[in-house]
Amino acid sequence: MEQAIQVKGLQKSYGEVHAVRGIDFEVAPGEVFGLLGPNGAGKTTTVEILEGLRPRTSGDVKVLGCDPGVEVRALKDRIGVCLQSTNLPDKITVRESLALFASFYSRNTDIDKLIDRLQLSEKRNAYYQTLSGGQKQRVALALALVNDPQLVFLDEPTTGLDPQVRLEIHSLISELRDAKRTILITTHYIEEAERLCDRVAIVDQGKIIALGTPREIQAQTLGTSRVEIHTAQPMPAEVPNFQEAEKFVMSDDRKILNVYSARPARTLPDLVKWIDLNGIDLEDIHLKRPTLEDVFIELTGKRLRD
Amino acid sequence: MRAYISQIRINLRLTMRDRTVLFFNYLFPLLFFFIFGFMMHAEQGGAIVQIVNMVLVIGILGSGFFGAGMRTVMDREANILRRFKVAPITAGPILVSQLVVGLVHYIPVTVLVLVLAHFIYGMPPLEHPWSLMTFVLIGVLAFRAMGSIIGAVANSMAESQIIIQLLYFPMLFLGGATFPIAFMPNWLQIVAQFIPSTYLSTGITAILQGHETIWNNLAPAGALILTAIVGTFLALKLFRWEKEEKMRASAKFWLIAVLAPFIGMGVFQAYSKDNVVKGKMLAREMSRSRTVLIRDARLFLGDGNVIEQGAVLIKDGKVAEIYTGTAPDAKSLKAETVDAAGKTLMPGLIDVHVHLGSPGGFYSSGTDYEAPDKAFPRELAAYLYSGVTAVKSVGDVLDEVLKVRQVEASGEKLGAELFAVGPLFTAPGGHGTEYAKNLPEVARGNFDAQFLRLPKTPQEAKKMVDELAKRHVDGIKTILEAGSPDYPFVRMDPALVRAVVEEAHALHLPVVCHTGNARDVEAAVNAGVDGIEHGSMTDAIPEALFARMKQAGITFDPTLDVVEAFGSLAQGKFDMLDRSLVQQVGPKKLLDSTKEFLQSPEGAKMRGGIGKYPVVMAICNQNLLAAMRAGVMLVTGTDSGNPTIIHGPALHRELQLWIEAGVPPAVALQAATFNGARLLRASDRMGLIKKGYQANLLLVDGNPLKDISVTERISMVMFKGERVDRSELFDQK
Repeated sequence: MEQAIQVKGLQKSYGEVHAVRGIDFEVAPGEVFGLLGPNGAGKTTTVEILEGLRPRTSGDVKVLGCDPGVEVRALKDRIGVCLQSTNLPDKITVRESLALFASFYSRNTDIDKLIDRLQLSEKRNAYYQTLSGGQKQRVALALALVNDPQLVFLDEPTTGLDPQVRLEIHSLISELRDAKRTILITTHYIEEAERLCDRVAIVDQGKIIALGTPREIQAQTLGTSRVEIHTAQPMPAEVPNFQEAEKFVMSDDRKILNVYSARPARTLPDLVKWIDLNGIDLEDIHLKRPTLEDVFIELTGKRLRD
Repeated sequence: MRAYISQIRINLRLTMRDRTVLFFNYLFPLLFFFIFGFMMHAEQGGAIVQIVNMVLVIGILGSGFFGAGMRTVMDREANILRRFKVAPITAGPILVSQLVVGLVHYIPVTVLVLVLAHFIYGMPPLEHPWSLMTFVLIGVLAFRAMGSIIGAVANSMAESQIIIQLLYFPMLFLGGATFPIAFMPNWLQIVAQFIPSTYLSTGITAILQGHETIWNNLAPAGALILTAIVGTFLALKLFRWEKEEKMRASAKFWLIAVLAPFIGMGVFQAYSKDNVVKGKMLAREMSRSRTVLIRDARLFLGDGNVIEQGAVLIKDGKVAEIYTGTAPDAKSLKAETVDAAGKTLMPGLIDVHVHLGSPGGFYSSGTDYEAPDKAFPRELAAYLYSGVTAVKSVGDVLDEVLKVRQVEASGEKLGAELFAVGPLFTAPGGHGTEYAKNLPEVARGNFDAQFLRLPKTPQEAKKMVDELAKRHVDGIKTILEAGSPDYPFVRMDPALVRAVVEEAHALHLPVVCHTGNARDVEAAVNAGVDGIEHGSMTDAIPEALFARMKQAGITFDPTLDVVEAFGSLAQGKFDMLDRSLVQQVGPKKLLDSTKEFLQSPEGAKMRGGIGKYPVVMAICNQNLLAAMRAGVMLVTGTDSGNPTIIHGPALHRELQLWIEAGVPPAVALQAATFNGARLLRASDRMGLIKKGYQANLLLVDGNPLKDISVTERISMVMFKGERVDRSELFDQK
């Protein structure tokens, strides 16, 4: 079966600045694919090349069988795009904006049903300027769907939204996934990628540094979980070798201890026993599995949200 | 197509919801309309055309140029265009929908303003409404295109604001919309010809005034269309969707491409000045269409009738109404008032005998003499200054006098209306040929062709008349005079005069004849001429001959001014140059150098020459009185241009000489008004204060019927309905 998106050796330079330095990936039909990376990693540039908004410097790109640098108009007609930052005229109503954009496409979906589906029914005739941030984002999402597209690009769909709204948007995207649409999503939120994407590519400085399902990527790392304990009194400076433990990190006041282990179920009883033996009160205990964030930190030495 | 329609629909709705758009498109023009209508007394006529033009042009500049320039940049800066960029459309629907919506909002305002102008301020219904609409819509397209280009090349709101303002203000203030170009200094008038809105403004004004259609404005319309096409094309090509895409600074040069048609027009106008002239004519037209009420004046109507207290309403350049006694309230007549208690209003004076080609004096240097295209208009301004609203040139170089007649008739320059006969019909060696004697051979030939006609046969004479008729001269002048023993002339064969008269009459041209003595008068009367100039200055004209003249309706013009001037000069007097009106019209340099010359040895020699040409005032006076008694139609001519007879005020002296001769003031004044108009074959439109007649009027302080000298105490001169600003007459460029 033909891939929805094929990218090979994609490069993009703005003069001396190399925004994208050789990216390869494929997205299968019906797949939700995430591009994860910090700001300035080259995610948006990559997506905009795929959408036909920018020319590429080199590399092979096929989107729905079209070359976005050549068959722009035909491609735009078949994809849906939710831009990172966009706007509409202040006094256009929700319904008017959808009808307007629908008129640009050869294929349309039922606008009123779309409004209902995106929970905008009450705001159907409200001016764009009166909408909240979440409502505006839902309109943006609706605009990406007016042509009933086979492939949807969501560029940072939840950036700048409060957590509650983000969850709403997530559930809308989940619905899209259930409807078997191909989705390419860029984000710098780990949870978003973990939760929504079938596969994720981690992008940094214009390159893909990890690619696979969230679990595969996690497995690519050292694969250690982390046990974190908080105590009321300082712990002894000397920490024994717990079972299966690989390393530990003690806070300066000796009240927080992180122990890294490939098999935390074995390590944990030893650790608790040791605390008891020293007559220290245990205040809190966490078990953390490795996240994409940890993977990212491990691969790049920096945090995502810098 | 679907995209175009939905864009247009949504843009229409959005603009209807936008209060600033509604304000600038609808309320703002109407506010302007009423405020200026009130301030400029639009109900009194004249100003209303200027106001309508101003409102229409401001609308095009504001919502078209300014609006289009800002709109694209605003949408781009607000990331709205970005959203459109990911949809499968081009810039076409976006730009076209803005254009269409601009037009849709502009048309109702235009119609509304025109309707209001008609019903509230009495602007005459449009003669060419479709021309106006077409022209105005071309204007909207062109100025929107210019705005779009600015929107396309500007990289930010601030940048587009600066570029727009740099162009908007000159277009608003120098393009004639707010301030008529004709009132600007000459260099600025040329600068204005490089500004696109100048052509918009003159075109709209000309069509509003009803003299022109779109076809008279093909060049400006063409330039506007070219700008619209080039601008729209470039706006599509240079269209940018995102603020992050920057234009290189050199892209601003595209603006020049769009303005190129007007740079071309400007260069052409700097050379031809057509549009500058048109601007002057349009401004003149406006000042001529005001409504004025002159009230409580004594009215001397021109045909001898007098209304002791009355009023005259002037509208659209004509006398609209004459009231006996107290006039209705000026406000109810929507007129500006001129209070004229104690003053006398009469028709503008008519001088039927002038020679514009000589200034009436002597300059010390040959280079001080102005060329006809400068001198003639100045002289005609001097006539108007003096209350003389029509003059007949009886002997001047043909081409130049016809050219100036055209310039004055168009309103380009302000001066007395000029009637002209062009060259003189005389004999080789006859009177008229002496002027060119001192010229070099080559120049003489040219001068003679312009100034003289020397027919040898009746057939040749007729052919010459035919040719002049084709040039649209206002009459023919012949000469019958043998001179004096000391100053002999070859006298033209009266049979040739007869041939001239026959042909001229067939072509409806009046013929006047210069005569030297009673024998010449008789020959001229026998030849069938329409007017006798000078009559006889040396012998008495028999009463029987005057009776025949009365019978045949032949006019008599005694030109006492030149009789007095020759007499005074022979005696070494030139106090004519010290008269107040003469001093006022000058030019001072001419008056000074003339006095100087007359006191010099050469001057003395010239005065001696004049002395050999015997003229006797007493004889002239008797002839005038005899003509009057016989009931001959008298007319007033001054022979201005002869030494010490300065162009302009001479007619006032002529009137005084008539009164001194014993003619009653009413008779003299009728000769100087209505009778003059009859000789000019223009008595159906001038010479009388009469409903429907041209408002050529002279208002003087006092009663000239009691004291003729009050005609020199000029309170106001009105010419074709315009209250002449006498102080500005000599500043015309």
